[in-house]
Amino acid sequence: MEGLRKSFPGVVALDGIDLNVREGEYVVILGPTGAGKTTLLKTIAGLARQDSGHIYFDQQRVDTLMPFQRSVAYLPQNYSLFAHLTVWENVAFGPTVQDWSPRRRDQIVREMLNLVHLSDRRNSLPRELSGGMQQRVALARALATQARILLLDEPLRALDARLRLELRQELRTLAKYLGITTLHVTHDQEEAISVADRIVIIRKGKVVQAGSPKEVYEDPSTPFVSNFIGEANFLQGLLSRVEDGFSVIMLSDGRHVMGRPTNVPVNSQVVLGVKTDFCNVYHGKVEGQNSLTGTVVRSLFTGKRTTLEIQTGQGLLKAKVPSDQSLSEGSEATLRFQPENGIVYAIPNEGLQVALEVE
Amino acid sequence: MPRIKLEGVSKSFGKITALEQVNFEMQDGEYITILGPSGCGKTTLIKIVAGIWTPTEGRVLVDNKDITNTPMEERDLGYVFQNIILFPHMNVKDNAGYSPRVKGLSEKQIEERSSSAMELVGVLEQQGYLPNELSGGAQQKASLARAIASKARLLLLDEPLSALDARVRVELRYALRRLVKDLNLTAIHVTHDQDEAMSVADRVVIMRKGKIVEIGEPTQLYNQPRTLFTANFVGQSNFLEGTVQLVENGNAAVELRGERFLKVANTGFSIGDPVVLAVRPEHLTLSPEERPNTLRSKIEESRFMGPYTRYRLRAETGDELLVDLPTTEAKVADGSSASVHFNPDFILSYTRPSQGLTEALRLE
Repeated sequence: MEGLRKSFPGVVALDGIDLNVREGEYVVILGPTGAGKTTLLKTIAGLARQDSGHIYFDQQRVDTLMPFQRSVAYLPQNYSLFAHLTVWENVAFGPTVQDWSPRRRDQIVREMLNLVHLSDRRNSLPRELSGGMQQRVALARALATQARILLLDEPLRALDARLRLELRQELRTLAKYLGITTLHVTHDQEEAISVADRIVIIRKGKVVQAGSPKEVYEDPSTPFVSNFIGEANFLQGLLSRVEDGFSVIMLSDGRHVMGRPTNVPVNSQVVLGVKTDFCNVYHGKVEGQNSLTGTVVRSLFTGKRTTLEIQTGQGLLKAKVPSDQSLSEGSEATLRFQPENGIVYAIPNEGLQVALEVE
Repeated sequence: MPRIKLEGVSKSFGKITALEQVNFEMQDGEYITILGPSGCGKTTLIKIVAGIWTPTEGRVLVDNKDITNTPMEERDLGYVFQNIILFPHMNVKDNAGYSPRVKGLSEKQIEERSSSAMELVGVLEQQGYLPNELSGGAQQKASLARAIASKARLLLLDEPLSALDARVRVELRYALRRLVKDLNLTAIHVTHDQDEAMSVADRVVIMRKGKIVEIGEPTQLYNQPRTLFTANFVGQSNFLEGTVQLVENGNAAVELRGERFLKVANTGFSIGDPVVLAVRPEHLTLSPEERPNTLRSKIEESRFMGPYTRYRLRAETGDELLVDLPTTEAKVADGSSASVHFNPDFILSYTRPSQGLTEALRLE
């Protein structure tokens, strides 16, 4: 994709998207509602036409091709199965329309139903299936056209949270087995991390960062990414000096914290972002480098991990700790982090709060 | 003030039984979540408490008063729906002031109540906006403001966060719990999301197929689930089928497939009992050499998941195992073999279900 732009009255949906996707790659497009994710998929599928910019498949421009000429399987967010057709007939729809020989058609339908574990439900009608099964039928139907590119728009949104965990694994396994190039749109960062080869974070029609799950998680390029993939605490202050390769930041109360080196010049106002996952919590007051002491005001248990909200002199900070290291509400606690986990950013022009907005 | 009790509540729609003999009681000021897969009856249950539906059988009591047949508008409650329902032609402030206005309060009281409700949920700055000018999260906050401005002490939340983005949901669930506790409301919150259920609730009610499976505090449900279904539905678990071969001082030796044994602590089972063992992925560790209580396994895949790395392994028993290691400690490569170590204290044991393990765990 090269310089893709698309506007609707009053809204810029795509604001110059440049993106290369390799053959067989599983790319997740991640962003908040309204970021332009769906428009991007529709433009690739040929269901929306960009105002400017180009799309290439293997160096060949496809801008002028009709959707059915693009060899793209598109699964929209609100797909609908043919209610009066059986599972088998639904999946056979594409091959039938494309006039394949009955032998080739039957073979592919059989294979697809096998892949989505629905061979024994081939004669069922959609309404006789659970939500998860219907989603699998829709996927099999999309794949039965033997397209080279699979476009998935929030494929798991309508399903129960617990079921999503199972199905997202199946999606990746299936795409990798077929070797199909996949673009999967979601607003769910956990889903993105768990299935993607590469995550492309978009916001307000622009690519903010693209990289492997580990890259975007550990080296977020902006405060927004830092807080959107996982959750982050932010400390504002003055970058006072560089010491032993670390940035030293003076906070509003005159105390100092250390973070990674930065390109921002010394004596500028900066913001240090640190993932709540990388914050350790100790009972009571603990002195030392990068220590912030306060009171636990809320403890939110989510099983494996517990989020502690700690009211400190630097505002409300959060730490996501293994549940066996949790502290009770009301107790004094010190939050600490390693300097290498603190990322130092220039203060965003639009202000930190606006820079972090997730909707 | 409101103590709620459901006594033998059942509800049928034609031939379909949505709820079957539901009994439970909640205390004043308690925050309860009702958690279960689609079709488990959780929405039917909250609608019966709201008075939207009448039970086919059983009674609903509030502070020992039977309200089973009291219409919704006469019940003192605030209700927030999954699909955000605001009056589209009214701005946030007028939406928030709706209930005080209907109750015929003075302009001054309406103003006070709506402003205080908007301030509490954080939409005061957006009070002049119409619903369609707001983001999904702000709209749901406005619905919440409208619900609490009624001054009802019972708040019913029907999948209040399901329509929102994942990241917005996380922020709002913190806000919900804070609000309910600060105002000392009694809340029933229906959800299919186990993380959400655990993080906001004092107690969680797990439902399946129209029945209550179990009720417990979040930590109890996660650490000591009483049923296999809960062990799988609330967080994930590994499951291994086996038979008890030896019992000594409360510890058991369980034989798995492939004539392999695991020691399990604190089990009430006897020799010969068919069991299923359940272990959380984060309670397993990988060790390069064989130790007591390990299963030799091959690493099929490892996956970076942020704070932890998830390994999918095939054990010598043929079972698939998931192991979560902190990313900082995760250094084993795909394709290599490793021994998976089971801490006997973290293995839960259950009677092997007669309907089969797959059926006992089925999510839909």
